[in-house]
Formats: sequence, structure tokens, C-alpha cells
Amino acid sequence: MDREGAETYLRLLAEAAMRGSLAPAAEPLVPNASRIMVVGHALTAVGALDPVTAEEILTDFRLAVSVRQLHREPDPGSGQTVAVARWLSQGRAVPRGKPRPAQFSGAQFSGAEPSGDDADQDRADRFVPVGLTVPFRAGAISGELCLMSFAQTGTGARFIAAWAVRTPSLEAQLGLQHPGLIPFDEFTVTDDRGARYQLDHTPGRDLEWPNLISLRPAPPESIRWLDVAAPYRQAIRVDLRPPGGYGGAGSPPVRGVTGGSPRGGDAAQVSVSDTKLSPGEHLLVMLAERLLTGTPEFPRGGLLAAPAGSRRAVAAGFGDIVAALEAAGVLSPLSPVPARLATLCASLGLDGHGIAVPPTLDLPEPWLSLLAHYQRRKPEPTQMRAGYAALAATLPELDGLRLTLLGLQHTQRGSALHVLVQGRTPEPCPGPLDLDVNFPLSVWLRDSGGRWHAARPDRCYQGDRESAIRLRLVPPLTRPAEWVEVLAGGRSAEVRATLPLLWRYPS
Amino acid sequence: MTGGPNEAWFTSLPPCEALVPCGQGRHAVRWEAGELRLPNHADPEAELVLVALGGEKARCVEIAEAWGRHAADLTVLSVWPRGPADEVAVSWDDVGEAAQAMRGGGRGGPWQGAPRLASPPRAAMARAAIRHRQHQQEAGQDSQRRLDMLSLLALGTEFQVRLSGQVAAAYADRLDEPDEYGRNVRSVMTAALDGRLAPVAERWLGLDPDQVEVSLHPDPGPGGYGGAGRPSQGGSGGMGPPGKEGGGFRGVVSPGRHSWGSVELTGRGEQRRLRVSLPAWWLARVWACGLALTGRHLVVAVERAGWPDARVLALRAPGAEPVSLSAHASDGPPGTPDAPHWEI
Repeated sequence: MDREGAETYLRLLAEAAMRGSLAPAAEPLVPNASRIMVVGHALTAVGALDPVTAEEILTDFRLAVSVRQLHREPDPGSGQTVAVARWLSQGRAVPRGKPRPAQFSGAQFSGAEPSGDDADQDRADRFVPVGLTVPFRAGAISGELCLMSFAQTGTGARFIAAWAVRTPSLEAQLGLQHPGLIPFDEFTVTDDRGARYQLDHTPGRDLEWPNLISLRPAPPESIRWLDVAAPYRQAIRVDLRPPGGYGGAGSPPVRGVTGGSPRGGDAAQVSVSDTKLSPGEHLLVMLAERLLTGTPEFPRGGLLAAPAGSRRAVAAGFGDIVAALEAAGVLSPLSPVPARLATLCASLGLDGHGIAVPPTLDLPEPWLSLLAHYQRRKPEPTQMRAGYAALAATLPELDGLRLTLLGLQHTQRGSALHVLVQGRTPEPCPGPLDLDVNFPLSVWLRDSGGRWHAARPDRCYQGDRESAIRLRLVPPLTRPAEWVEVLAGGRSAEVRATLPLLWRYPS
Repeated sequence: MTGGPNEAWFTSLPPCEALVPCGQGRHAVRWEAGELRLPNHADPEAELVLVALGGEKARCVEIAEAWGRHAADLTVLSVWPRGPADEVAVSWDDVGEAAQAMRGGGRGGPWQGAPRLASPPRAAMARAAIRHRQHQQEAGQDSQRRLDMLSLLALGTEFQVRLSGQVAAAYADRLDEPDEYGRNVRSVMTAALDGRLAPVAERWLGLDPDQVEVSLHPDPGPGGYGGAGRPSQGGSGGMGPPGKEGGGFRGVVSPGRHSWGSVELTGRGEQRRLRVSLPAWWLARVWACGLALTGRHLVVAVERAGWPDARVLALRAPGAEPVSLSAHASDGPPGTPDAPHWEI
């Protein structure tokens, strides 16, 4: 990795933007900064540039542009002029009290090896598919608590669940987001030794995410089952013994169990293959997948349905990013990925991406599947009602991260895959590229009908060395798949796991 | 005044002077032979002692201090003008306004007028107070730095160019060491060279400045073209994005002859590129001295520095052999009184 090349590239970009701002027809202040911000974010995300330097370059650029506008006529469009007092405070300089250390955090895509795993935490892990429905009634509210899976790690125990809530004014709908209506306190949970637990809505009472229900206190590792009882109802027993011995510490790296029939379910079929993506390629793939999934407001047409102006803005700076990654030595000039990204941009009608290489026909199969979905003239009829499928399958480690699939859910709002990510997840890297850097994996699902669905983080609850994430599927499922093939890709390898599904539906 | 190849970088620059509002009058601030001088303040150090005892600091002295603080500040190369056409006009009124704003900004702050807890926890208060002090300290340093910059810019174009030369000279032989804040010097210098050479190339060849690609050439060392009597640090020249290395005329480092760099024009139409590799010293010895484009030649090195006569190594066209030329300085053309004007 050529960090000096990365910094030099960004500084040269700032110089070019400066020249642009000095031109007579230049727009004031902000527009040229966007290229610097976008490229700076990309270089920071791959670990080629530390955020302090990127911020400093941007600050110097803004200072340089604004000091030249101290006595300029205000721009007719913006009415902006720069007052001296504003110059004093604009783009506060980055504090640099002392030289930076040679190493820095933030190498989200750089492939930096994580530190050794915490063995104590590993030993506590237990993932069990549940697939049980607990009906309840509390006053005027009734419904069903649908337990997809149970996950216990060093940071605690929780159920991954879906809710069907019925009130006099609401029909029961699985996943309907009214956690305030859910009577967590009314349930009783007891283990095989008589100890009692409380259910709690975990992720900071996120009203959009009622799927993660913690169990307090965390039960001991040795318990065999939990009885979950709604008020005045018979308890439903949740067997916590991992089927076939899977799920505990020291279990094989690949362990897949599907729900519905936890004792007799078919194990997942898993294969691992090397990918050897460079950090730059991996970043471009993440950007491409953002293009493919980044428009929930246009679920059918994706970016193709977005206004032209929005589309242009989405891909602006891609050419600069490719050049910057090459300058940073994290993207080979011979890499096929930029051409794929250029093709994707062209297919989605994204002008002005600036990628110099010609497009290619060699697109990954999932991308083609999703493009075909967007380009379909008539939406495919949905033949699926709200339901869920239990899962508890831990995939082999990818780039130091371990991904456990904990349930698949479909509601009227869409489809979601619930996962737990363990390992040293990267620090958040806010910036204009809208990258999910704390989930630096590419996840796709192929349903039994052969359609691919991209899985993009929608909700995340980050704990200590692990994150519970709800991945939104794009496009949503249209029929209950008998099985899914999960494709999880990192920089170094990709994993394919085929998981049979047993769908359950609330009454 | 002339000198050999080991002369200081500023030997080809004449003295310059600016009038600065100071106390009740206007005082001269003079730059000469690489130093800032205050003719109206016979003993600035004694004045500083008086300041320590409660006296008011003279603006001339403040400016001299600011000059000292920024003589090796790489931010100068990022913010300061890139050439004669890139004018940065700051008035002393601007500086006064900024100073007032800065003093005003010192009061108030996020805590002013904030509701107080009936009995705030002491530990929390102490932590918050420390954070507040740190924030104020950083903000104060930041504002002071910018006020410095405004003051130095208000001295005018001649001083702006000389300070840029000073900063470039401070790092031209230290490209591989980080600066005091840990910045990558080679990256900053490469960008500084790009920002200053591209407009020169535009005037030289009519090129779009964005078609110019620069890289830093290894310092030719003592006795070499453009050297300044300091040992060469070596290093790889091309630090820009890949593919910037030119293949045109390139000086060869050999006993008795040293490399000045390379200038090559390639491609056609939008693919046209001027690839230039020059040592970092070019910024100080050539660009800051106003020699970059002399008599329609691109000056690539100064063989013998001096004012008003110097001998330079210059290119008539990309790829051509450099020729040794005598340059003579004269008053600038009308409308550009601050710009040194050289003719062949």
C-alpha cells in the first residue's frame, strides 16, 4: 500500500479543484470540495490515508478558496461572500498536536489482521434455531411472539424474534413495528433449574427494530432449555441444546442448522473459495452493491427509477476514486472491477461516473440478476405472506469476521436476514460514500427459484466485538423459498452456504 | 549582486517593503536577504519584555513573530497564491476585523447562559471543565493561526511569494522526513509544485493546466543545477500517481553533470500531457524568484543566482535540450508592480 501516493493524489486533486475555483466561472466554495471529500473517504476506507490527513487537506482547500473570495462579489446564485470573521472559523483546522503514529485505525478494507480472538468469549457462544411461536394476550392486545433463534455469546443472550401484534384497531401483521405495544414484561421465562429471566427490547428501544430481544440476566451455559410463557398460557419449551452438538465452542468452523425441525433439520452445505480481492477492488464491489441496493424509495426500479439528477450525483467521482486507489497501490490497473462498475453505472443510467476503462460484459451473476429485476417491465407478483424461517448457521471466518445467520423474515415491508457478526469490526468511517464499513462483507442470497437478493445492513446494534445486524434483502422475496444459498464475500475468500428453510406463519 | 550555484535560494530576489499600521502610525516592514526586518523598532526583543510586563505588543512585532511561526509551515504552500494571476488581497482592515472577531470569540461559548444543575456532580464538572479548556485552547490556537495568516497575507504579494519560497526552502532537502505535525512533506511539495507549475505551463504552451503532471525529481545535490550547497537526500523522484514518469530529455546524474529533471510532452488532444519532473528547490530558487517563465522559456534551474542578473537553465520547448541563458530583472509590466520581471 502506497500511503504517500494516496496522500499525494488527494493533494493533487485539491490543487486541480483550486484551479477550477479560480476560473472566472467558478462556483463558490462548496462544489469542488465534494470530489475531495469523496476520494478522501475512499482512501480512508481502504486504510491508505488517515482521516486526520484527509480532513486537513479538505480544510486547507476550503481556507485557500475562501480567502480568495474575501473581496469578491457575492455569487448571484448563492448570494455568498466571505466575511473575515467567517474565514476565521470556517472548516476548523484539524488539531495536530504531535506527529501521528505510523499505524492508525480505520483500515476497513485493507485486510489488516485482527488481533487474536477472545477465547473466553468463543467458549460462551451458543446459537440455536428455534422456530417456535408463542401466542399471547395482554388486555386488548393479542398476538404471537415468533422465536426464530437463540444466540448466546460473551456479551449476553438474546432471541431473534418476530412479532405479530393484534389490537382492536390493527390486524395482526408479522413484524409490524409497534414495540411499544409488545408486553415484554408480561412474559415469564424459566430455565431447567427454575431460574427466571426477563425479556427486554435490546437495541436502545429502536422503534424500527423489534427483532432483538435480550434475556436478562444471561443464563448459564449449561442450561438445557427455557420455558417461555405468555400470561395465562401454557409455557412453550425452547430446547437450547445445539442440534448435533453444533454451536458451542470448539465446534467445526462450518455449522449450519435450519429451523423448523431443529433436531432433524438438514445441515447446511458450505463451500469456501479464495477470492483475493485487493482492498481497492473490495471497496469498488461495496460501492457497486450500494448502487444496486441503495434506493429503498424505489424498490422496483432501483436507481433506474430515481430522478436523473440524483442518479448523476450517486456516481460522481467514481473515476477519481478508481484513479486514487491505483495511486495508493490498492487497485491494480489490470483489475476487472472498475470495468464492471462502469458497466453497472451504464446499466443503471448513471452518467458522469468518470471511469476511464471501457465497460465489460463480465458481470457477476448476482449483479445481473438484480439488474434484470430492475429492468423488468412488470413487477413480479408476490406470492408470499408474512412469515419467518429459523436459522442458526455460523459461516467460516471471513477477513477476521465470523458471520452467524439467525433468521429469515418476510413482512409486507420487505424481507430481512438477521445476522450476528463477531470479530473486530472496523470503526465507523462516516463520509459521503455511504459505506457500511462496520459490515465490510458482501452478502447475497439466491432463492430456490434462482433469483439473487442483495443483503444490505438496515439496522445494526454494535456491542463489544460483535454486532447484531438486520440485513434488508433487495429485492424482497416473492415466494417462500425451499432453500436459499447464502453467498458471503470478503476480501480474501467467499463462502457459499445452502440452507434448507421451513417457513412458519403467524395465525 | 550575484552568486554561485551554492548561493541561498533568495539571492535572485530584491528587498521589498510594506507599510503596516502600527500604534498611531504606519511602520515599514522590510524583507531583505531572507530576513524580515523592522526598521522602526530598534530593539524588538526589549519590546517583548515590556509586553510581558503588561505593555501592548506592536503590530510590527506581532507580524515578525507570525513570520517566524510560519516560516516552516507547509499550510502556506496549500493556501498561499500559486502565481501572479492568483491574487490574494487582504487589507489591514480585514486583519483588524479578524482580530476583533477573535477577541470577541474568546468570550461566551457553549457554557455561557447554560442552565446550571442544582448540585452538579463534582467529578462530572471537573471533566467537563477540562474538556472545555481543551476546546478553548484548540480553538484559540486555531484562530491565532488564521489571524497570523491574514496578517502575513496583508503584507502583499511580494511578501507572500517570499514566505512561500522560505517554506519550500525549509523542506526542499527534507522530503523524506515528516514535518513537525507529522505531515508527509513529499506529498505537500508535489502538490505545491503542481499548483505553481501548471499555470506556468499554461502560459508557456497554452495547455490546459489539468494536462500537466508533475513529480518531484531527486535533488541534484551540491554543485548541481539548482542545488543550494546541501547534501542530496536522494529518494525516488516520481511521487505522483502511477504513469507520471516522463521519457523526454532527462539529465543524467554523472560526475561533473547533474540532473535538473525532465519535461516531456506526450499524446494528442485530450490525452495530451506535459509530464514534468523537477526538484523541490525549483519552488524556492526559480518560482519564488519570479524566474519560472523567462523570455518564453521554462526555467528549470538557476545556475548562478543574483539580482538583477542571473544565469538560468531554461527550455525553449518540451523535450528540447536546456540552454544556459543570462536573465536580467527589470521593473514589472504596468499593473503588476509586485511581480519580479525577468528578461533574457
